[in-house]
Amino acid sequence: MSEAKARVIIVEDEPKIRRFVCDALHREGCACIETGTARQGLDAAARGNVDLVILDLGLPDMSGLEFIRDLRTWSPVPILILSARSAEQDKVAALDAGADDYLSKPVGVGELLARVRALLRRHWQSHEAKPQHKFGDVEVDLSRRIVSRGGVELHLTQIEYRLLAVMLANSGKVMTHRRLMQEVWGPGHGEQGHYLRIYVGRLRQKLEMDPALPQHLLTETGIGYRFQS
Amino acid sequence: MKSLLPTRWRRVRYPLAAALCILTTLGAFPLREFLDLANIVMLFLLMVFGTAVWFGRGPAVMAAFLAVALVDFFFVPPHLSFAVADAQYLVTFAVMLAVGLITSNLAALLAERSEQAQLREHETRILFELARDLGSALTLGQVADITQHFRESIDLDATLLVADGLAAKPSFQEFGHHRLTELEQNIARSAYLSNTIAETDSLASKDAAIAFLPLNAPTHVRGVLAVMPRTDDISSVRLHRPLLESVALLVAIIIERLHYADAARHSELQVAAERLRTSILSSLSHDLRTPLTSLVGLADVLVQRQPALPEDAVETAGIIRDQAHAMHHLLSNLLDMARLQAGQITLNKAWQPFDEIVGSSTRLLKTLLANRTLEIDLARDLPLVHFDAVLLERVVCNLLENAAKYSEDGARIEVQAHTRAAWLEVAVCNDGCGFPEERMKQVFEPFVRGTREPAVAGTGMGLAICKSIVEAHGGMIGAENRPGGACVRFTLPLGTPPSMEEEGRP
Repeated sequence: MSEAKARVIIVEDEPKIRRFVCDALHREGCACIETGTARQGLDAAARGNVDLVILDLGLPDMSGLEFIRDLRTWSPVPILILSARSAEQDKVAALDAGADDYLSKPVGVGELLARVRALLRRHWQSHEAKPQHKFGDVEVDLSRRIVSRGGVELHLTQIEYRLLAVMLANSGKVMTHRRLMQEVWGPGHGEQGHYLRIYVGRLRQKLEMDPALPQHLLTETGIGYRFQS
Repeated sequence: MKSLLPTRWRRVRYPLAAALCILTTLGAFPLREFLDLANIVMLFLLMVFGTAVWFGRGPAVMAAFLAVALVDFFFVPPHLSFAVADAQYLVTFAVMLAVGLITSNLAALLAERSEQAQLREHETRILFELARDLGSALTLGQVADITQHFRESIDLDATLLVADGLAAKPSFQEFGHHRLTELEQNIARSAYLSNTIAETDSLASKDAAIAFLPLNAPTHVRGVLAVMPRTDDISSVRLHRPLLESVALLVAIIIERLHYADAARHSELQVAAERLRTSILSSLSHDLRTPLTSLVGLADVLVQRQPALPEDAVETAGIIRDQAHAMHHLLSNLLDMARLQAGQITLNKAWQPFDEIVGSSTRLLKTLLANRTLEIDLARDLPLVHFDAVLLERVVCNLLENAAKYSEDGARIEVQAHTRAAWLEVAVCNDGCGFPEERMKQVFEPFVRGTREPAVAGTGMGLAICKSIVEAHGGMIGAENRPGGACVRFTLPLGTPPSMEEEGRP
């Protein structure tokens, strides 16, 4: 993996948290650029050559949301947000505005690095097509629209298939309810969140070993879903 | 019927009037040679007129008759007899009597009217002063003092009874010198409830006669004003009745104003307290969480360091990290409890399957549940339920944590969910020591612990938080012991989930 040369900007006003994040990143061989305000963060990102931005939502000079909107107008760099637990609505708003994933404080080194790795991987592999997926005892071939489990072909309805495809395309990344609704059902279905829940339940019934304890189609409570292979 | 006489002379009005007649006679008698009869009659008429003005109507009528008799006797020939020489003197007498009666009537009327006008003016002035003083009253005590003061100026005693609240059986705060007996209090209460004036007279009670005027304010009756005369004469109360009714109205309005001013002040205080509490909670939240976040993270960095630190250092760092995590957990619980108690948590409800919560909770507590046997039993085809996912996840996590804490390694923990009538019933049961029987009722109160052993860490807020959240959703929660362990069950209302259109055949 080429994280050795990855350059990560951390935008966080609390120096001790910056220190812990940078220590962890250095362990992975990433370069860590510390910024203490949103303004400094945007400037650092503007200088280019950035692979990931880790953003704390509680910045003093600008709301996290504004930062993301601003950055997204000129950069597709992955954004990982750090936020207090029980601020789900803030996280959802940030994710819908263009952030890629989130972590709830306090977070351990292991969790942080796992997310960082996943995001960097997606970022560098975004141009590669990925029609084949394997998880548990399920195999999916998106190019031929075949989903099989334990060697036996499964039947999925159109929407079930589309939902699975969207989740696989965003493997490892959290998807908000809204984003999933938009991608699977199209715009204008905002009020029908229950459709999504029911279909995820159906997919779990068909694809998971124990639908009540899913291992791949994970619930991110209050936020959305995440596919994990 | 009043007159201009001071009170103590009132009893001798008639004799005085008679005396005046005699005086006039004595005065005119020497002049009868020089004055014409007409002029003497005028003098008597003047006297009658004066009697009317000073002594009132009754004595004036008597004086009129007496004047005629005296003129007849002393001044009309033949003198010193009631006989009349010339018949036209009868006309004189008739006219004299008529004029005497009419003028005395008019004079008396005028005097009466003038006196009444003065009385009214006096009352109006009193009312004005009362209104002005009450206008600046700030407490019920001041209102009572002001009415007392007013009372004294019209010679009555008053007790102000202010109703406590608007209950059907109100209790009264009494202000006044005269303590009411129980009978009197009951009469006061009935006057308050029926909103009519009640009166007792001295036959009904041993004490002085009392009038009870309800204080009828625009929105509600606020109490009763009990008025008693200083003497035993209830008529003085009746006399001032219109005035007392106006006073009662004024006092009622003022009491109502004070009540609403109080209520407004109270709300302002509450709002200010709320604001203070919210800002304290938010800053506590941020200020306490930040150092904990760095603690957890930095301790973890030490644990994960490559090349690794010496084994005991790694272990110590791990303990620091775990303790910091535990502190953060505790802090979250405390802050959530504070917010729930302040009613500040808004529910973000959505229609969703309950299974998801079971899945995400068990996943979150993977390490804690590692040494327990988890049995999940969810009914098939559970309908969608309307709830706040984050909060319900808290509930299930708290229950699972408790189940793990109060059981041994390898013990069973069961999670069940099924519908019963209009409710979703969820149970989290575990094999273990169970709840202490004597404290079953209190386990859902904050800071009540399940065991006496301090070995089990925690502060006893988990169940209290669960209760707040479940009840906020309109459900109920309960705990019970079963053989070999304990169960906590809660319910959520089912309602009618939104419908869904199925896809057409693909």
